[in-house]
Amino acid sequence: MKHSDDLRHLADCPSCRKRFTENVVPFDSARRREGALKFAAAAARLESERGETADVVARQLRDTPQSEWPRLAESKALRNNAALEQLSDEVRKRLERNPTEALAIAEVAAAIAETLPASTYPPLVIAQIRSTALRDRANALRYLGRLDEAYDAIETAESRLSEFPAAVHDRAIIWLVKAMILAQMDHFDEAERMITAASVIFADVNDSARFLQAGVVHGNLLGRQKRYAEAENLFRDLLKIAVSSRDVETEARLHNNLGHCAVSAGDYAAANVHFSESIARFTDLGLRAEVPRTNLGAAQVLIGKHQIDAGLVRLEEARGSFVALKMFGEAGLCALRIIEVLIDRGDTARARALTGAVIDEFAAAGVDLRAVQAIELLQSTIDADGATAEAVRTVHEFVRPFAVDQAQAS
Amino acid sequence: MFAGPAFHPSQEIQAPIAPPCDVDDLAFDELYEGNLSLLVAIAVRKFQVPEVDAEALAHEVFLSYLKRKNEIRQLHPWLIGAICHACRYFWRQNGRRTDQLDQELAMLRPDPDSIAIFDLLPSQLAVREALDALSPRYAQILRMRYYEGYTIREIADYLGVTAKYTQKLVGKCLRMAEQMYNAAPARKKT
Repeated sequence: MKHSDDLRHLADCPSCRKRFTENVVPFDSARRREGALKFAAAAARLESERGETADVVARQLRDTPQSEWPRLAESKALRNNAALEQLSDEVRKRLERNPTEALAIAEVAAAIAETLPASTYPPLVIAQIRSTALRDRANALRYLGRLDEAYDAIETAESRLSEFPAAVHDRAIIWLVKAMILAQMDHFDEAERMITAASVIFADVNDSARFLQAGVVHGNLLGRQKRYAEAENLFRDLLKIAVSSRDVETEARLHNNLGHCAVSAGDYAAANVHFSESIARFTDLGLRAEVPRTNLGAAQVLIGKHQIDAGLVRLEEARGSFVALKMFGEAGLCALRIIEVLIDRGDTARARALTGAVIDEFAAAGVDLRAVQAIELLQSTIDADGATAEAVRTVHEFVRPFAVDQAQAS
Repeated sequence: MFAGPAFHPSQEIQAPIAPPCDVDDLAFDELYEGNLSLLVAIAVRKFQVPEVDAEALAHEVFLSYLKRKNEIRQLHPWLIGAICHACRYFWRQNGRRTDQLDQELAMLRPDPDSIAIFDLLPSQLAVREALDALSPRYAQILRMRYYEGYTIREIADYLGVTAKYTQKLVGKCLRMAEQMYNAAPARKKT
């Protein structure tokens, strides 16, 4: 039996755990009792804070103008672990749709965590609290593309744990975020090393959700390096785990990614199957906005591979779904992709008609006026000389920050 | 044509979707008392962490559990995984803290083990050869007894068997080593 198997067996078998434990030389019982008391006291304190704090953070954030959030760091009600856990949740909720707000909250949390008196909790718990706040800050900075600052923040977060070998799980999560930052900085080798180390820990502590997440990040990393065959193998392995752990949402994401791998290998039939599987699962889960997003991604890859007709069909399906969901921002972005293809094909009449539709939709949905003006400018360019695909791409890049829908399916 | 997009990103880091293990019903001190010895045993026996450090590591594993308890699905795999990685980290840190050998001092005070190296080397090589020929379990028992200085009682504890049986086992291992060494093709000829 291998060493690791042996330990795995211990985790599953109460009688072997008992026998294994009995063989160890007994240690100082007074010291052991003291440790148990300290642990129970820390546990009771954390639990009672969690019970008493309820939704204090959501309330304070709601009742305080955003410009005054920094002064929340002085609020007595927020200066404890439970409130910091809630702040961390608030950061996470905002990362995708409003990273600036997420960063503002993360700054408050970091300010509180860094100034909590060291005697408030056991040193390890203080280190965990501080590293979590700094990790959230790093993540928000990553979403904002401020990668150097994000890297500095995650390094500091990691250093807060360096004196504590037992902060295993916290450290692995930090490595995962660090890997994502490094990947965005194009430091692929280092990112891969980090992610592998984190994955080993997630597997060993049986955190299958984060193990899958780390795997998806790893696969994306391989994809970015055009190592599609390796990415595909990894996604296939992860898919088995997602199926066995009944994580349908990850299954959907993995099918989507396998679809992209199949496209890169020129296997459009397999790609279609994977994209369809992904869409079916997102639909089953009720994540309706993910369906057109998957279609949009698939379409872009197909068009990139000169499968124009197949791509256009998926783009139109995606746009139709976004409109049906009243997600006019993303419907408009989808339309711009269609316009780009139409202009490339010389079909300026349809391209012009579509710009008109987008202008109406943006105006009705209250999308920022600058985005509407950009589309109007594109329309007049089409009228004047037919425009170019490059011009459409420029407009797309300009409009994108204004048009990404706030409504999230999940 | 526009470039294809990246893969579908993973979700943002969040707590695992599966429900956490039900530890609310367990009193925290029971949880601690019921598992501390196991974690210390793993640290000491599997990773050779000194006992006092092993206790400190096990205590910290419990503390780190408190912050993550709502997302832990199965307690024992988590505790065991955590103590194993904590031990590895401990040794990485401990290794770094080892003082570098002073070269000048080393020249003045040679390693006592290497003083009679030319006399001892042939027998050391013979022992190594004998150990290599044994099964891993037998080789480990002899190493523990004759290299690492474990008592019969300690080896018995390690193996989870009686001292009497361990004594027999050590004798058997020695006989086996002798047979294997003598049966080696090179020595048959001599």
